Amino acid sequence: MNSGSIKQLKKPLAIRLGEQTVLAKSLVMAEHPFDRRDFLKVLGWGGAAVALSGCGNGSVEDGKETVVSYVETNDYMIPSISVYFNSTCTQCDAGCSITGRIREGRVLKLEGNPDSTINRGKTCGLGQAGVQHHYNPDRVREPLLRTGDSGEAITWEKAYALIAEKMKDVSGEEIAFLSGGVSGHLKVLLGNYLDSFRSKNHFVYEAIAPAVMRAANKKSYGVEMPRFNISKAKVVLSFGADFLGAWVSPVHFSQQYAQFRKGDEDGQRGVLVQIESKMTLTGANADRWLVVRPGTEGILALGIINALGAAGLRLSGDVAGAVKGYDKARVSKDTGVSAEQIDKIVALLKARTPSLVLAGSAAEGYAHGSQNAAAINLLNQVLGNVGKTVEAAEVVPFPQMAPTTGNTAALKKLNDGLAAGKYKVLFSYAANPVFTAPGAMKFKDNLAKAGFKVVFAHYLDETALQADLVLPLDSALEDWGTQVPEYLATCAQINIQQPLMEKLHANTDGKGTRGMGDILLTLLKQRRAEEYKGFADYYAYLRGALLKNKVALGGHKVDDDTFWNETLSKGIIKLEGHVSALSSRSGTAGLSLPSPAAIDAQYPLQLIPSVNASLRDGRHTNQPWLQESPDPLTTIVWDSWVEIHPRKAAELGIEEGDIVEVTGKNGSVKVQAYLFPGIHPDAISIPLGRGHEALGRYAKGYGVNPFQILDAVFDKETGELALHETRVKVSKTGSRVIVVKDEGPVGGRQMGKKIAARLPSDKVKLSEEI
Amino acid sequence: MNDIREDIAWAKINKDVLKSLENPRKLFWVILLIAIAAVGVAVGCEVYQYTVGLGVANFSNPHVWGLYIATFIFWIGMSHSGTLLSAILHLMHADWRKPIYRFAEAMTTFSLMTAGLFVAVHLGRVWQIYYALPYPNGRQVWPNFQSPLLWDAMAIFTYLSSSILFLYVGMIPDLAICRDNMNPGWRRKLYTVLALGWEGTDRQWRNFRVTYLTIACFLIPLAVSVHSIVASDFAMSQQPGWHITSFPPYFVAGALYSGCAAIITLFIILRYVFKFEEYMTLPILKKIVRLTFAIAMVWTYLNLIEYAAVWYGHDQASKDVLIQKMVGPYAPFWWTMNICGSVVPFIMFFKRFQTHIPVLFAVSLLLNLGMWLERWMIVAPTFSHGYYPWTWDHDQWPSLVQWGIVFGSFGWFTLLFMVFCKVFPSVSMYEVKEMVYHRSQATKKLEATGKLAASGKGAH
Amino acid sequence: MSVTSLLENYSEFRHFHPVDDVPHNPYKWAMSIDLDACSGCNACSVACYAENNLPVVGREGFAHGQAMHWMRIERYWDEDGREFPDQGAQFLPMMCQQCEAAPCETVCPVGATNHTPDGINSQIYNRCIGSRYCSANCPYKVRYFNWYDYPTTDNVWPAEMNQQLNPDVTVRGKGVMEKCTFCIQRVTVAKNNAKNEGRLIHDGDVQTACQQACPTSAISFGNLVDPESKVYKQWKAQQVELDKDAQIKDKEEGGSELRGYRIFEELRPYPSVMYLERVRESAV
Ligand SMILES: Nc1nc2c(c(=O)[nH]1)N[C@H]1C(S)=C(S)[C@@H](COP(=O)(O)OP(=O)(O)OC[C@H]3O[C@@H](n4cnc5c(=O)[nH]c(N)nc54)[C@H](O)[C@@H]3O)O[C@H]1N2
Ligand SMILES: Nc1nc2c(c(=O)[nH]1)N[C@H]1C(S)=C(S)[C@@H](COP(=O)(O)OP(=O)(O)OC[C@H]3O[C@@H](n4cnc5c(=O)[nH]c(N)nc54)[C@H](O)[C@@H]3O)O[C@H]1N2
Ligand code: SF4
Ligand code: SF4
Ligand code: SF4
Ligand code: SF4
Ligand code: SF4
Repeated sequence: MNSGSIKQLKKPLAIRLGEQTVLAKSLVMAEHPFDRRDFLKVLGWGGAAVALSGCGNGSVEDGKETVVSYVETNDYMIPSISVYFNSTCTQCDAGCSITGRIREGRVLKLEGNPDSTINRGKTCGLGQAGVQHHYNPDRVREPLLRTGDSGEAITWEKAYALIAEKMKDVSGEEIAFLSGGVSGHLKVLLGNYLDSFRSKNHFVYEAIAPAVMRAANKKSYGVEMPRFNISKAKVVLSFGADFLGAWVSPVHFSQQYAQFRKGDEDGQRGVLVQIESKMTLTGANADRWLVVRPGTEGILALGIINALGAAGLRLSGDVAGAVKGYDKARVSKDTGVSAEQIDKIVALLKARTPSLVLAGSAAEGYAHGSQNAAAINLLNQVLGNVGKTVEAAEVVPFPQMAPTTGNTAALKKLNDGLAAGKYKVLFSYAANPVFTAPGAMKFKDNLAKAGFKVVFAHYLDETALQADLVLPLDSALEDWGTQVPEYLATCAQINIQQPLMEKLHANTDGKGTRGMGDILLTLLKQRRAEEYKGFADYYAYLRGALLKNKVALGGHKVDDDTFWNETLSKGIIKLEGHVSALSSRSGTAGLSLPSPAAIDAQYPLQLIPSVNASLRDGRHTNQPWLQESPDPLTTIVWDSWVEIHPRKAAELGIEEGDIVEVTGKNGSVKVQAYLFPGIHPDAISIPLGRGHEALGRYAKGYGVNPFQILDAVFDKETGELALHETRVKVSKTGSRVIVVKDEGPVGGRQMGKKIAARLPSDKVKLSEEI
Repeated sequence: MNDIREDIAWAKINKDVLKSLENPRKLFWVILLIAIAAVGVAVGCEVYQYTVGLGVANFSNPHVWGLYIATFIFWIGMSHSGTLLSAILHLMHADWRKPIYRFAEAMTTFSLMTAGLFVAVHLGRVWQIYYALPYPNGRQVWPNFQSPLLWDAMAIFTYLSSSILFLYVGMIPDLAICRDNMNPGWRRKLYTVLALGWEGTDRQWRNFRVTYLTIACFLIPLAVSVHSIVASDFAMSQQPGWHITSFPPYFVAGALYSGCAAIITLFIILRYVFKFEEYMTLPILKKIVRLTFAIAMVWTYLNLIEYAAVWYGHDQASKDVLIQKMVGPYAPFWWTMNICGSVVPFIMFFKRFQTHIPVLFAVSLLLNLGMWLERWMIVAPTFSHGYYPWTWDHDQWPSLVQWGIVFGSFGWFTLLFMVFCKVFPSVSMYEVKEMVYHRSQATKKLEATGKLAASGKGAH
Repeated sequence: MSVTSLLENYSEFRHFHPVDDVPHNPYKWAMSIDLDACSGCNACSVACYAENNLPVVGREGFAHGQAMHWMRIERYWDEDGREFPDQGAQFLPMMCQQCEAAPCETVCPVGATNHTPDGINSQIYNRCIGSRYCSANCPYKVRYFNWYDYPTTDNVWPAEMNQQLNPDVTVRGKGVMEKCTFCIQRVTVAKNNAKNEGRLIHDGDVQTACQQACPTSAISFGNLVDPESKVYKQWKAQQVELDKDAQIKDKEEGGSELRGYRIFEELRPYPSVMYLERVRESAV
């Protein structure tokens, strides 16, 4: 069998979904124990899957696969009966656990795994589309080697040999490995591979990670990613944290949000106040959505502290000092939020405790983003939320598996190195910087200066097109892995990723896709054959590694096989994590916020690149369900748009559907206008994720890519890209289109009918509800 | 002026009418070719739509109906012309109908045949159309007798078959004349078969009269019901702008209206083409015009009470639909329809236009334009402005495929009608003779009593 | 085939109605959707695509209003003329309301859309001739027509993508109507399982795909005649009765303090989906 094939049965998990309960019973009940050897007898599930599915991955007639009789089917392969296997969603790095429904050897549907404390059986739309990542028609199916301008399909053997040859005489300094966030055993192997060259050049890059917040949290609370107890809070004051949309762990927060709204403990409904310049999905759900002048979030936070002090809250000396100048009049003038509104918030915060203050990406995205985040965190401290609604999270006791958190600072470093021609070999995995790097970085040009570029890819994305060698990856639903989520909900956990079906693109003739772990293992064997010879493949490595730590992983009472099968069956290893104490230092040191910037006459508008929960940084744009899933706020599909406040639009003479040119210092894009009331009139917003020039048939040519016109402005403290610091102007091009959206011609009006109804909170009795 | 000259020789009548069956002029072929080309366009569109799917017609969810249904209603309406002239006026002993009822009956049949096509064209799965029939089947699956669409199918089918029968039966004496006056050839054979051995015996005439009268009596309630049922497609639904109590009479009035207008159009054409001035006389035209005007006023009245009922009723949704018709994207069509339907007919109010052929020709076309728009304005605005605002759909515009098929349907009708006129006598010879006879009898009577001179009439 | 059987079947067909003396037994499927929990995230809609083999119609198709989303999330703004929507938006998940007296059913010429004994408005693709009368008469406009033959349309289900299709759900060809089925395939499996075990379905045995995905658990689905079910309790607590065209509680002076309502109840389709009004904090 090829590496990465399924060697083990993963016991189906009983979830409440009808048909499989029968099956789960027959497998779990002692009288009918499952015989593992049975499974191996049929040469692995893969062979069975092919024979059963008959979907063109090789046929019985070819004599290449094994025939499995339906009459004598194994328990796990009864035609028309679904089985359910657990794994982990990799559509984003929130780490939700999923249960795949498999029938006749094909994975059909993904559901949330109810045992996960992160997602408790739920998924987001992006997670649902995981199957379209797996079955995507535009996946790369064989290693491709660049010859001139075209690619030539080669075998894996040849590809490996080529890498070995290229790596022969390079020093660690001359290697760069760019990757998205990685964790678990993959991170270990990756580290070991780079170690074998004594290279420290692992650049971890996530285009839209909350990197500034992490740094600010580290300073304010002593940990990068504390636990946010939305459900316990009575008031949530969120400065642009889109926790229902794309922020950190949206499915988890959505559940907390539902509890928060119901007031699960005392029937008192939580109040959400969202402060931002462009309405996010979370903003759309707020009781009060406050539009602030872009970049003044920190000022407003300090203003609220000041007003809290004035309203009788005791402030420590340094805090009082730090907020001294932020009286209501000034804050109101700077931020555009009325004094009256500030009073209301203050009253609310005083009346209802505990509260929770969140600093989201909207606040982070400025040159003074760290300051904004620090000011917002300070508000949390002043309100006494630290330790109540902001708690220390449990940490997985295997630091080597902890997630590497990605950021744009790393990309900048890599880019500088590339520009200087430092790298002879560059690897890229789970990142598409040619698409996501700000235009001002000229990343594509700099990339050309790298000697030999190896891109591990699912699709031929913009970066893969620049590669010398493209290595096709297994999809997440056919690969092995372990994952440690960065945001841990209530307990420490290691997520298991296991194949839900046989590989779609089989490894015949040395072609086909392979798992990243297998590839790394093969590459490591080129360097340290002795050390890794015991592991036939990544599966063996994983199994070995987990069994070695069986006791620490909670398996002290059972034998290896049982432990292993149970682990796979559950899909999650829940651990006694250790909790590091939160620091209670109030972070006033060095806190200084700039006054709001004057409006630039040439580029009067602030560009807010928005993050859509489905498309994120654009890596999943080739999944048609996501393209056709309307943006919740504008209901637009299959295209980009620029949101302009109606007042601004009237000023500029722009109407819906006008194609406008958005021009900044680093280029321009032409995009349809959408008049949107939920945005500051001095800002415009274009969603990220679309505007691909490659990737696949569902992504290429739809919309524009605002990454391309971003200015290279960085947060002063962390060096992170200030995503919201690009200034632009907007001009009409004269052409107009009909905006393709779900909303009808009357927009979001109910025309006097009772369709989506609402009640004021003093008129309902939530505690009496079911 | 009299409806017809009383001294036309019977042989002349035969000769004049049979002349219309002679080989046509070049222009006939040109027009026929155009009609065939139009049918060709429609067939092309339908084949395309059939293979690719109804999406090519540019419907949307929820705007699922469009020109097909509107034009279907239009053709059904058109079919009422024949019944009105033949059956109703026959029962009312209106002698002046005699020279013109034949082609009106033909119109009925052909417009029903055209309308029927739209039912098929409109379906998503026309190949399963027989599911709508209560045919015997092992699974005992019946159509849904609750659905007005099913009543529709049944009513139209009955109406069509009765109309064909009526047309045919009424033609038998004339077919015998054709048979007796034709040189040997296919025509002679055809008429021989179709004339069913008509000899004009007393017994035959007696039976013929009874049969014809019976079918006429049967046809009248059928005609009223068929358009009432088409109206039920809308009135029985729950949609704003559709569930209106007055729809059945309103639809019937509209049907008679468009039928009359079409009769004027074809009257003028046939009179000109076949030189039927002797039979299709201006006094007859005047009578049709007056009848049309009267029906126009009935229609206008029903239309206005519909607006008033919606306006003063408390169903806001219906009112919204009405307002949207007046001021929304359909406004140009809605206003045109009202002007064509209710203002233009006033031209016919003036005596000097009642026989003014060019004006009447234009007016009759405008009336039917109005009536076609009326159907579209019934169907479409409710879809683009129904109960559910989120799905309002104001930009819906039919694609060229829809227009092509609608256009082709006129070609199809023209084709059928032209072929009919060349194969069958489009003026009823025997009834015209009757009319001339009645006329001369009446004159004789007047002469005998000396009233003619005294009345000052008939001095021509 | 006899006329007697026609009449018998017909009167039986007319029986499944809330106003009838015959109650739903033992199942009546219903939903409740809490608009205060719903965040408008669209997960339910995508889940429905995944579960029910919904075709993706692409940009052009969507532009022509031919989208097939059985579950659509509507977004409403307040209409009081404020410059900024400072109370957020209102989201509404809208799919077939499984009307008890469904306006779509009576008009279908061939009976392709029917009421099942357990209170679901069923759609029989095989039988549908594509007249679209049902859609014309649906007050909520939640019926979706197959304008094209999506299974053979480019890039709807190209090779490999088609392997994801749910074998429990028909892939619809051109010319038929479709709509939310309350995930009838899941209900059927649960029913059979329960039957095998000689019992009725327990609350929670079956979840619809949208309900299962929904991150805020805004959607509840269950048996309205089972006093143990959550939907039964919710409907009861909200004093919403299936067979009323206006709820008694709404006649209270000053309005009721209960959030449950059904959309267009007054049109008397007797919808099986109850919404719970969104709440807006009065203190801010
Ligand atoms: N989902 C679904 N299920 C269906 C149907 C469907 O359309 N869809 N169709 C139904 C119908 S119509 C039918 S007929 C059944 C068929 O159901 P089965 O009878 O189960 O059909 P086969 O898969 O043909 O299985 C016959 C078995 O006999 C074995 N066999 C072949 N030759 C011989 C022989 O000479 N001697 C012996 N002892 N064994 C032999 C074959 O290897 C195979 O394992 O399936 C029914 N089930
Ligand atoms: N390749 C192959 N050939 C076989 C067999 C095999 O296993 N493999 N098995 C053989 C056997 S045992 C049998 S019984 C035959 C079966 O052969 P067929 O009777 O042709 O069987 P199917 O293809 O299952 O079904 C025929 C069609 O009926 C449609 N259909 C489903 N339900 C309905 C309905 O309610 N009404 C209508 N009108 N149509 C419906 C289906 O969509 C399908 O297109 O095939 C024989 N031939
Ligand atoms: S949030 Fe969504 S995409 Fe991210 S892991 Fe969870 S289900 Fe997957
Ligand atoms: S919501 Fe529409 S489609 Fe659904 S049952 Fe009611 S009328 Fe029929
Ligand atoms: S489209 Fe189908 S289900 Fe709807 S009314 Fe017509 S035949 Fe019936
Ligand atoms: S109940 Fe099922 S079919 Fe209906 S919207 Fe939800 S997922 Fe779709
Ligand atoms: S998944 Fe739930 S929260 Fe999201 S839109 Fe649907 S009902 Fe609302």
